[in-house]
Amino acid sequence: MESVKINARQLFVLIVLFEHGSAIVIPLGVDAKQDVWIAILLGLVFGLLLFFVYRRLFEYYPDQPLTAYLPQIVGAPLGKLLAVVYITYFLYIAARVLRDFGELLLTFAYPETPLFVLNAIMALAVMYGVYKGIEVLARTGELFLTVLYLLALAGFVLVFVSGLVDVTQLQPVLEEGWGRVWKTVWTETLYVPFGEMIVFTMLFPYMNNPVKVKRVGLGGMVLSGINLAIIMAINIAVLGPDAVSRSSFPLLDTIRRVQVAHFLERLDVLFMIALIIGGFFKISVFFYAGVVGAAHLFGVSSHQRLVYPLGLLVLLLSVAIANNYIEHIHEGLKIVTFYLHVPLQVIIPVSLLVIATIRRRFSQPTK
Amino acid sequence: MLFQWGMRRQKERMNDGVQQEGADHSGEAADVLEEPLSPELAVNIDIIRRATGESSDIVIRRFSLGQETQMKAAIVFVDGLVDEKNVYEFLLLPLLTASFPLPLEEKERIQWIEKKLAAVGGIEQVSDWKRLFFNLFSGATILLLDGAALAISASTKGGQYRSIEEPQTQIAIRGPREGFTESLRTNTALIRRRIKNPNLWLETMQIGTVTQTDVAIMYVKGIANDDIVTEVKKRLARIDIDGVLESGYIEQLIEDQTFTTFPTVYHTERPDVVAANLLEGRVAILVEGTPFVLVAPALFIQFFQVGEDYYARFDIATALRFLRVLIFFISLVAPAIYIAATTFHQEMIPTQLVIAIAAQRESVPFPAFVEALAMEVTFEVLREAGVRLPRAVGQAVSIVGALVIGQAAVEAGFVSSAMVIVVSVTAIASFATPSFAIAISARLIRFGLMFLAAILGFYGIMMGLLIMVIHLCSLRSFGVPYMSPLAPLIPSNTGDTLFRVPTWMFRERPRLINQKNIVRQSGGQKPQPPAPSRQEKGDES
Repeated sequence: MESVKINARQLFVLIVLFEHGSAIVIPLGVDAKQDVWIAILLGLVFGLLLFFVYRRLFEYYPDQPLTAYLPQIVGAPLGKLLAVVYITYFLYIAARVLRDFGELLLTFAYPETPLFVLNAIMALAVMYGVYKGIEVLARTGELFLTVLYLLALAGFVLVFVSGLVDVTQLQPVLEEGWGRVWKTVWTETLYVPFGEMIVFTMLFPYMNNPVKVKRVGLGGMVLSGINLAIIMAINIAVLGPDAVSRSSFPLLDTIRRVQVAHFLERLDVLFMIALIIGGFFKISVFFYAGVVGAAHLFGVSSHQRLVYPLGLLVLLLSVAIANNYIEHIHEGLKIVTFYLHVPLQVIIPVSLLVIATIRRRFSQPTK
Repeated sequence: MLFQWGMRRQKERMNDGVQQEGADHSGEAADVLEEPLSPELAVNIDIIRRATGESSDIVIRRFSLGQETQMKAAIVFVDGLVDEKNVYEFLLLPLLTASFPLPLEEKERIQWIEKKLAAVGGIEQVSDWKRLFFNLFSGATILLLDGAALAISASTKGGQYRSIEEPQTQIAIRGPREGFTESLRTNTALIRRRIKNPNLWLETMQIGTVTQTDVAIMYVKGIANDDIVTEVKKRLARIDIDGVLESGYIEQLIEDQTFTTFPTVYHTERPDVVAANLLEGRVAILVEGTPFVLVAPALFIQFFQVGEDYYARFDIATALRFLRVLIFFISLVAPAIYIAATTFHQEMIPTQLVIAIAAQRESVPFPAFVEALAMEVTFEVLREAGVRLPRAVGQAVSIVGALVIGQAAVEAGFVSSAMVIVVSVTAIASFATPSFAIAISARLIRFGLMFLAAILGFYGIMMGLLIMVIHLCSLRSFGVPYMSPLAPLIPSNTGDTLFRVPTWMFRERPRLINQKNIVRQSGGQKPQPPAPSRQEKGDES
């Protein structure tokens, strides 16, 4: 672990940027059609429950990351194994987000550039940021959150000024009842991006004021959830539910519709900036968690020593995990969710909390 | 990163070497001077002669002291460093005319002479050669007496200095016209005149084993953060170098990180700027022989601030701040954006313009990157020539320059006229950046961004900027985060960053720089029109 501390505002910024991350650009929960915003808000509500689980665990072990207290809860052999699983999971998700990011650039701007080159530049930036440490990442985040918000504001104004928003597209609400919405919540929006807060169990120990973790996490998640819901609602209001569910990048399609005074048009750059900022922080947080966890678990003195080897690993993994984008998306929706997200974000943390609570109950009277 | 790692390895290796060589070179300045002063005048004079290689500017005047009893004595000074009128009028004359009572002990003699010399300041008894020579070359006059193993050094500093002129590099439309000079004393006085407070502390030291350059640090006790003051002193004390000829030497030896293009120590020629920084709790480092005063710790935003921001009203100042940040941005990315837009993202340019550019570029044989690179390099060459050449030739350069970056180049088909405009805008922007130190780092980064733009278009530019911002956020100046108060965000200090709030709202000093004495002025100073008088009220009704 680094010996630096970040303050509440910086943690908040990291959470907000992380939650927006890739979620603003991918078609998040579009199976719910025009009710996607409800699905996102419901995902947020249950995501908050998961967050309370993670925070309670942090409360039990206030100065340790997840990978350090795993062995303490379930015993050394199993705990260390789980720690390795979590580290792998973090690095794998970092690679997945990197792949998402590269594919996106490939599709909409650089059809002839090799995926590896696009990913490599991003991986370099991530490695540089993680090498510099969490404090630098947090400070960079503070600057870029402002940029992101200004962009969002500009985007909103432009979309509304162009007269693209058609609220009737959001109707009828709950056309097919709650079934479709619940299905989306349980298969998508709960895990990405809200359940991914599990990665912050690696970052909470850096807080200079642990008491505020609850408020900061809650605030960050609620703000992000509402923002995401608004963005997806606008996407649907502009494009219509069918176009959104067929689109690979709904936000891009929305922004491309903007046309103001025959001058402000083709604003792909706005989208690209949002994509780069969000992607960078999402990958960085996952990668940082993986690197710090590995350094801690294997007793490496400084996490900086692991940045290059693991960075290279993530880069190569991002290219190798799927043959093409369709396969990549298929893996993401059908395999990763059920075999990785559900056990690692829900089942294991909840059982950890149960075991830890029981242990506390039984150990306290003996003291 | 790799580079840094490599450097660290090398540093470790170098450290091993340095320890063996050790303080070998510090003896360069003073090899013959270990023995104490001799009681015999002739011997002492001989030693001075030999030690200075009989340099012709060392003036040695022998004379006899007193009237009843004659006592041999001599004064030694360096021609040009002293005020000769002072030496003769207040030092030599009293001694020649004084009657010298007898008999007196050696000690009493010295005291008696010291009394006689009351008209000259800075009297000091010197018994070792090192101190004697240091005083001599600092402009003191040395009085040697026969029969005394002691010398009296009297401060008679003088000689020619450049007078106080308007600063050359930081010109203000409104604001004081005084600039620092090469004289350390003048410079400290210029600051003292602005802060008349006993808490303005000044500490002097000599740095440079050969040059023995006077270096002074100034800070306001009670406002400056003690940790930072100690840190500055520690870093200055660590310096072991043969000579300091400009404050740049010091700057490069005390900065937090060498491998960055961004300046982490601020320098200025303006006393009002230094005074303002001292009031914010910073530390000023003055070096004899240069008008550039260092100010530490420096923040990124500081390089966009100008003294005039505070003399002009806040709305104007804020608008100008935004303009300057925009200017910095243009000077960073303008050619890169041109390259990216013409090579990768034609769809982003309005159709008519893209047709016009394409028509111009039709005759240009190079890709946009080569075109831009050639023009930028040409411009940099011109600028370098313009800076270094004597004034008389400078005009010729500007005429020829206008041909090279201009219509002739376009007509010859080397470049497109759009490129000429881009290069010119970049050039003007880089001149308009208020601080040369930051403009020059933008110049360097610009080429990197052009290269990235040529490979990956806007994505390349943005990733370049992203890495630059990470780098900026990782910098520290004397422990203070370089990007503060923006990152880490300190809301109560952001009033003096992009925005410059009205003066009555400047309630606090920068928090990270000084942690205890934060409040700078009382609240409720918002100017208001006076309450309407009774008469006016009467008129209204």
